[in-house]
Amino acid sequence: MLLIMAISSVVIFYALRTAPGGPSGGGVLNPLSSQEVRQAYEKRLGLDRPVYEQYFVYVDHMAHGDLGESLVNGSPITDLLLTHARNSLLLGLTALAISYLIAIPLGVLAAVKRNTWIDQLAMGGAILGMGVPNFWLALILIYFFSLQWGLRPSAGCCSPTQLIMPALVLAAEGTAVTTRMVRSSMLEHLREDFVRALRAKGLPEWQVIGRHVLRNALIPVISLSGLRLGWLVGYALIVETIFRWPGVGYLLVDSVLRRDYPVAQFFSLLLIFFVLLANWLADIGYGLANPRIRVA
Amino acid sequence: MADRVVIDERATWEASAEALWTGRPRRLSDAWYGLSRNKLALAGSVVVVFFTLVAAVGPFVAPYDYARQVLSDTLLPPLSPGHLLGTDALGRDVLSRLLLGIRISIAVGLGTTAIALIVGTVFGMLAGYYRGWVDTIINGFVELVWGFPLILIAVLLIGAMGPGLVGVVLAVGFVNWAGFARIVRGEIFALREKEFVAAARALGKSDLEIMFRHLLPNVVGSALVMGSYYIAIAIIAEAGLSFIGMGAQPPLPSLGQMINEGSGYILENQRLSTIPGVVIVLLVLGLNVLGDGLRDILDPRLKGSV
Repeated sequence: MLLIMAISSVVIFYALRTAPGGPSGGGVLNPLSSQEVRQAYEKRLGLDRPVYEQYFVYVDHMAHGDLGESLVNGSPITDLLLTHARNSLLLGLTALAISYLIAIPLGVLAAVKRNTWIDQLAMGGAILGMGVPNFWLALILIYFFSLQWGLRPSAGCCSPTQLIMPALVLAAEGTAVTTRMVRSSMLEHLREDFVRALRAKGLPEWQVIGRHVLRNALIPVISLSGLRLGWLVGYALIVETIFRWPGVGYLLVDSVLRRDYPVAQFFSLLLIFFVLLANWLADIGYGLANPRIRVA
Repeated sequence: MADRVVIDERATWEASAEALWTGRPRRLSDAWYGLSRNKLALAGSVVVVFFTLVAAVGPFVAPYDYARQVLSDTLLPPLSPGHLLGTDALGRDVLSRLLLGIRISIAVGLGTTAIALIVGTVFGMLAGYYRGWVDTIINGFVELVWGFPLILIAVLLIGAMGPGLVGVVLAVGFVNWAGFARIVRGEIFALREKEFVAAARALGKSDLEIMFRHLLPNVVGSALVMGSYYIAIAIIAEAGLSFIGMGAQPPLPSLGQMINEGSGYILENQRLSTIPGVVIVLLVLGLNVLGDGLRDILDPRLKGSV
């Protein structure tokens, strides 16, 4: 993991700096600023030096705990990290909670009432949930909730009314996928012999489903939650941008577009680290859920 | 009579030998038959074919140039004279822009998926066939890429290349090939133990010939099914990235870009973002439903599961 992080840091560093345009080319400075101003600016930031030298300076600073500051507004990255990471966690965890709170009961209901209108409605909703792009869903929600029904403001942070829409949008796709997964996993386990044995024993149906089948059926859902966490990071980039939610995703998109090198560099590495961590957790979850995997 | 029986027997034997040899030669016609009986999948394929045709010929029959601005005719409602779907805030014809937008979406979807399919299948075959250190290297890389969120990679790549469709295509292709590689590798793992591979090896066929002539036809079905999902993923990713300003750049009308432009006029003119939004949803639903249908047909055991 350290190796991947080190390689990613070099690649991102190099890629950002060789990219067309730069902080002096309109990203931060006035695009009409004169050549002398630009050169002085680049000299002050050390951007006139070779890229590898810049990299070593950067690593040196990092090693001394200096994460740098934003080129756009001068705020230290440690400050940005504290506020934006907190906001992103709040949004991400709310979305995750929403998606599991809806998906698990719905998936169970669809499996138990297989081929009834409940099942068809749930599955239709799931297919739709996977087909509707999250940014368009965001627009629809903004239109109805904010513009028609007056739930304002639609963007910003961090009151409950501001949280609910981005969290719903971020949760939509995950809810659809998890509902389908819970349903199919439930159906698989409902066919097994131990279920018949439990029913023959005279156990009430809700206990058979709730205590025994669901517990088995949730294993793949739990083991895949690490992977979902990684995907959530990706979607957060778009959702946070739409709702102007001051999280890590919004910050990264904004800094990449504005060529705010220190911010883009640090937060992309942070997200990569987070995704690697989530994947690692996913592997562990998978191993715990299915011991055979660990050997293979 | 006896001759007839012998010939029949021989034909059956040849057919089964051929089936053993080249994998599933009758699968395609089976798939077609199955498709015509599976209503949802049929509906999905009709939608997909329709939009593909629109993408192919649409821009040629578009009434106006997609970038032509008439500032005296801004925000006209649909069914206005000369503008079937109305005009946008700069007086550009929405229909003409939509037709080109559909072409861009489908081209990005097909293009990235084609690259991903070819690269992923080749590396998946190599890993599954040779195993050992080849597999360790390829699979290590595949697992790493596969776990990464597409949008994050796209944003980083676009950070390096500057906004535009090229970055989107590269990012989506870069992430999605791993999906194909995983599936193909798994299938080849099982297939390489089969008799027809041993027979081919005994006949002195080279590794390349075994892989591309005998193993490839067996895995192409599942790779194609995956393909329909990946086209949908690519279309959504392109639209999302264009929406936040990292994909297609104005005045090029990608569907996501059109939704973004329309979002500024959502109170007065919902249709500006509704029309491209509905098109994306229809296209993606069509592809997903088609993928579900094809999967059921090619592997009936999975019917009704995720």
